[in-house]
Amino acid sequence: MNGTQAAGALLQVEDLRVAFAADGREIRAVDGLSYQVDAGRTLAIIGESGSGKTVGCRALMGLLPASAEVSGSARLRGTEMIGLSDSELRRHRGQDMAMIFQDPARSLNPTMRVGVQITEAIRAHRKVARSEAHVQAVELLRLVRIPAPERRFHEYPHQLSGGMRQRIMIAMALACRPKLLIADEATTALDVTTQAQIMELLLDLQAELGMALILISHDLGLAASYADEVIVMYAGKIVEQAPATRLFGAGGTVKMRYTRALLDAIPHLERTAHTELPVVSGRPPDPTALPAGCSFAPRCPAAADDCAAKTPPLTEHAPGHRWACWHPCENGVPA
Amino acid sequence: MAVPTPDALLATAAAPPLPSLVSTRRLRSQRIGRALRLWVPAGILLLLLAICFVLPLAVTMPSSTSGDIIYNNEAPFSPGHLLGTNVQGVDIFSQLVYGGQVAFEVAFSVTAIGMVIGVTLGVAAGYFGGWVDGVLSRLLDILIAFPALVLALVIAEGLGPSEVHVIWALSVFAVPAFGRISRGATTTVRGLPYVTAARLSGTRSWRIIGRHILPNIMPGIVTFSLLGVGVVIILEGALDFLGYGIPLPEASWGSMIAQGQQILTAQPEYVLIPSIVLLITVVALNTLGDALRERWGVQ
Amino acid sequence: MSAEATPAEPLLSARDLVQEFVVRERGGGRSGVVQAVSGVSFDVMAGETLGIVGETGSGKSTLARAVLQAPRPKAGTVVFRGTDLTRLRGGQLLQARRHMQFVFQDPFGSLDPKWRVRSIVEEPLTAYRSGNRDARRKRVDELLDLVGLDPARYARRHPRELSGGQAQRVAIARALALSPSLIICDEAVSSLDVLIQAQVLNLFEQLRRELNLSYLFIAHDLALVKQVSDRVAVMYLGKLCEVGPGELVYKTPLHPYTKALLDSIPSTEPGAARATATLRGEPPSPVNPPSGCRFRTRCPRAADQCAAEVPQPRELAPGHLVACHFPLTGGAPPGAAAAAQHAASALPGTAKAQG
Repeated sequence: MNGTQAAGALLQVEDLRVAFAADGREIRAVDGLSYQVDAGRTLAIIGESGSGKTVGCRALMGLLPASAEVSGSARLRGTEMIGLSDSELRRHRGQDMAMIFQDPARSLNPTMRVGVQITEAIRAHRKVARSEAHVQAVELLRLVRIPAPERRFHEYPHQLSGGMRQRIMIAMALACRPKLLIADEATTALDVTTQAQIMELLLDLQAELGMALILISHDLGLAASYADEVIVMYAGKIVEQAPATRLFGAGGTVKMRYTRALLDAIPHLERTAHTELPVVSGRPPDPTALPAGCSFAPRCPAAADDCAAKTPPLTEHAPGHRWACWHPCENGVPA
Repeated sequence: MAVPTPDALLATAAAPPLPSLVSTRRLRSQRIGRALRLWVPAGILLLLLAICFVLPLAVTMPSSTSGDIIYNNEAPFSPGHLLGTNVQGVDIFSQLVYGGQVAFEVAFSVTAIGMVIGVTLGVAAGYFGGWVDGVLSRLLDILIAFPALVLALVIAEGLGPSEVHVIWALSVFAVPAFGRISRGATTTVRGLPYVTAARLSGTRSWRIIGRHILPNIMPGIVTFSLLGVGVVIILEGALDFLGYGIPLPEASWGSMIAQGQQILTAQPEYVLIPSIVLLITVVALNTLGDALRERWGVQ
Repeated sequence: MSAEATPAEPLLSARDLVQEFVVRERGGGRSGVVQAVSGVSFDVMAGETLGIVGETGSGKSTLARAVLQAPRPKAGTVVFRGTDLTRLRGGQLLQARRHMQFVFQDPFGSLDPKWRVRSIVEEPLTAYRSGNRDARRKRVDELLDLVGLDPARYARRHPRELSGGQAQRVAIARALALSPSLIICDEAVSSLDVLIQAQVLNLFEQLRRELNLSYLFIAHDLALVKQVSDRVAVMYLGKLCEVGPGELVYKTPLHPYTKALLDSIPSTEPGAARATATLRGEPPSPVNPPSGCRFRTRCPRAADQCAAEVPQPRELAPGHLVACHFPLTGGAPPGAAAAAQHAASALPGTAKAQG
C-alpha cells in the first residue's frame, strides 16, 4: 500500500443523496453521504441491511434503477460521476471503477464459458483482437491465482465452486485495471476459509495494482481486519468514521453508541458460552418514515430529549475521527 | 483522510419535516398509475359483462337472429338500431350482445372446467410426485398433444355444432394447460421451508395441500386463468368463423366476422365492429391479468 | 464418539449416520453419489447444547435433516428419548418426534406468507390435536409472550408484516408449541443482522434456562456456535473431525482443520487476521471424497498414513475427541509434526508455516 497520498483524493463523495419512489411512498436510502478514498487505501463501509451502504455505492456506479433520484456529487479523479449518461458511465465502469457482488453465481452467465466472459469484458472497453484478449484473459485468471488457468478458461460457471466464481468476477472486474474496486459483500456468501483466501487476494492485488478498495459489509470483523478506514452507516447516514486502528483493538475509542452496539453484539471467541450478549432493542427505522432528530435515538440506551429534537451533525471531533452523536461514549465504553 | 463535511450541509436536513427528494407529483402519478392499471381493464370487463347479461333484461332489444330485410344495411345510430343492421337486416348491436353472452359463457365454462380438473390433477402430481406424478403427467401430455382446433372440428363434425360441444372440445385444451401450470407451482411450493415445517410439525398431507399449497398457488392460477379466458374467446371465435362453433342463426362474434368478411371491401364495418369488441375484451383480460400479477407478486 | 462424563442416558444419540444422494450433473449425463454424511455419531445430553460447525458442503444440514428423519438416513440409528426413530413409520414416528422440533435458516421462507402468526404457531398443536380451540389459543398467546412478541399486536399479522427477527421469533414459538425437549437449529440466526442476531441468541439462552431445553445448534460461524454451545463438533466433508467441550476445542484445537477455521475468522483486532496464512485450495467434491482422512488434500501435516487409513476418533483429553493421525497437541504420534505442535498451542496463529 502506498504510504503517501497524492494531494487530490481518488474518489471524493459529497452530500450524496438517493431516494426511491416505491408504491407511491418515498424511501430515503442515502441521506447526505460524504467521504473520500485515496489511491491504494481500503475503506470499509459497514451497516445493517437497509442502511444505505450498497445503494450509496451503486449510485456511483450508475447501477440504480431509473426510479432512483440521485443528488450530490461524486468525483472520481476529478470527474463528476453523478448525472452522467449511461454511455459515459459505461466508459468509466471497468476503466476507472469496477464492482463485485455477493452472489457470483448470478453475476455470471451460466451458458457461457468463463474465459469467454472475461474476454468480452476486456473487449467491451478496449479494441483488442480476440486472440490478444484471450491471452489477457488467461493472464487475469493467473492474476487472481486460479490454478490451471488454461483449463479453467474453458469451463462453465456451474463447474466452479463459489470461491472460484468470485475469483472469476474479480478477474472480470480487473480486466481494465480499474483505479477503484468496490466489493459489495463480496465474501459474505463464502465460507470463512474461502473468505480469508479472497480477502488476501484482494489486498495483494490492491498492493500490486495500487487500487483503492471499498469494502461494503455488515461484518465489523472484516472491516477491522482488512480496512484502513471505517465508515459506519445507519438509516442512510454516516454515524461514525475513523481509521480502523482508532476504532478497534485494545485501545479502541468507539464514540457512536450504534457502533458500540454492533461491536458488542458480535459473538467473540473470547466470550464464555451461555453469557448474555449486550443488545439494543428495536429495529432500524422505516426508511419511508424516518424519525426527526437522530435516527438511532429510539433504540439508543443514552438517548435524551435533544436527540429526538435535533439531528446530530457528523463532525470531526478528533483528528480523522468523525461522529454524529450528542452523547458519545466515553473512551469507547458506554457512559 | 477524511475531510469534514461542513456541518451546515448536514444540519439543513435536520429540520423536522424532511424535505422530499422525490417529487410529490411523481409519487402521486405512481400511485395513480398502479390503480389505473387494475381498474381500467376491470371496469371495461364489468361494463362488457353488464351490457351482455344485464342490459337485455332491462330493455327489449331487437332480435339477434332475424331481421326485416327491408331495414337491411342501416347505418350506425339509425333509429332503433344503435350500430345499424347487417345485410339480412339483423340488428348488429343485438348480435354483439348475444354473441358476447355466448363468448363469455363458453370462456368461463371452459376455464372453470379446466381449472377444477387441471388444478386437481396438477396439484396431485406435483405434491405426491413419484408414480402418481408419472401417470398424471403422461395423461396431461396426451391431452396437450391433441391440437385443440382440430379436435373441436372433429367433435363438431361428429356430434354436430353446439355450444356444449364447443365447451367440451376447448376444455380438452384447457385441462392440461392448468394441469401443467399448477403442477409446476406445486413442486415449487412443496420445496419451500414452510411446507417442510408443516410436514415435520405433523400436519397431514390433505391439510398441507388445502391450507398451504392451494392458497399459495392460487394467485398464479387466477392470473393465468384470465389469460386463458382471453385465449378461449379467440378460439371460440375461430370455431364460429369456420362454421364449426355456435350454429347459425344464433349470433356469435366469430360468425359475425365470417359473414362480414364476404363483403369486406364494400362494408368493412361488419368485420371491424365485432373484431374491435373481441380485441378490447381480450386486451382487457390480459392487462387485468398483468395488473393482478403485479399486485400479487406472482413470478 | 460417545464418551460422556455423566453416566446418564443421552437425550439424543446418533450412531454411524450415513446419508447419500444420487446427483446428475447439470447438462451432462454423468451421475454420482454425494456422500453427504458418512458415519457420524454424537450424543446430546438433556439440557445440553451441542454445536456443529462446518462449511458449505460439510453435510451439517443434511445431518440435521437425517436426525429429523426428513429424509430418513441411509444407515445408522437415531435414538431419541429411548426410541430408535429410524425404525418407526407414520403415526408412530410422528409421536416419537413430537419432542424434537426445529428452527431453520430462512425466517420468512419457513412461514407460510398466507397465514397469520396465530395459525402458524398453532399449526403443530392442531396437527397433534392438542386440546380444544380455546386451549390452543391460550397456548399460542403464552408462546408469543415467551418469545417476546405481544400477542395483541402480532397474533393477527401476516409474515410480511414482520421483520426478520420477529419472523424468526414466530418460528421459535412454533417450535416450542409442543413443549419439546430438543430443538434442532440449522443456521437459525445466520440470515439476521448482527443486532437482531444477538437478540435471538439471547432468546435461545433464556429459553434454555427456563425450559431446560437441549439444542443441536448447527452453523458455519464458529464464534456463534461457541457462544451457545456446551460442546462443539467440527464437521468436514461428511465426517466429524473433532468433538469436545467448547472451551477446549477453541483454545487447544486438535485437528488441523479446526485450527485453520479458527485462523480464518476476521477478528476485531486490526490487522490480526492478516498475520496468518490461510487454508490452501478448495474442499474436494463429496461425490468422490479423498481416501483415508478426507482433509488430507488441504492439510499442512498430511503424510502417507493419512491417505491409507481413515483416522478413528481418539479421546486425547477428557471428552475431547479428534479424528486425526497427527493431531496438533496431546500425546499423539510422532515425528516432524511434534515440533510444530508446541508452537501451535503456545502461539495461536503462527503454526501455519508447515507444509
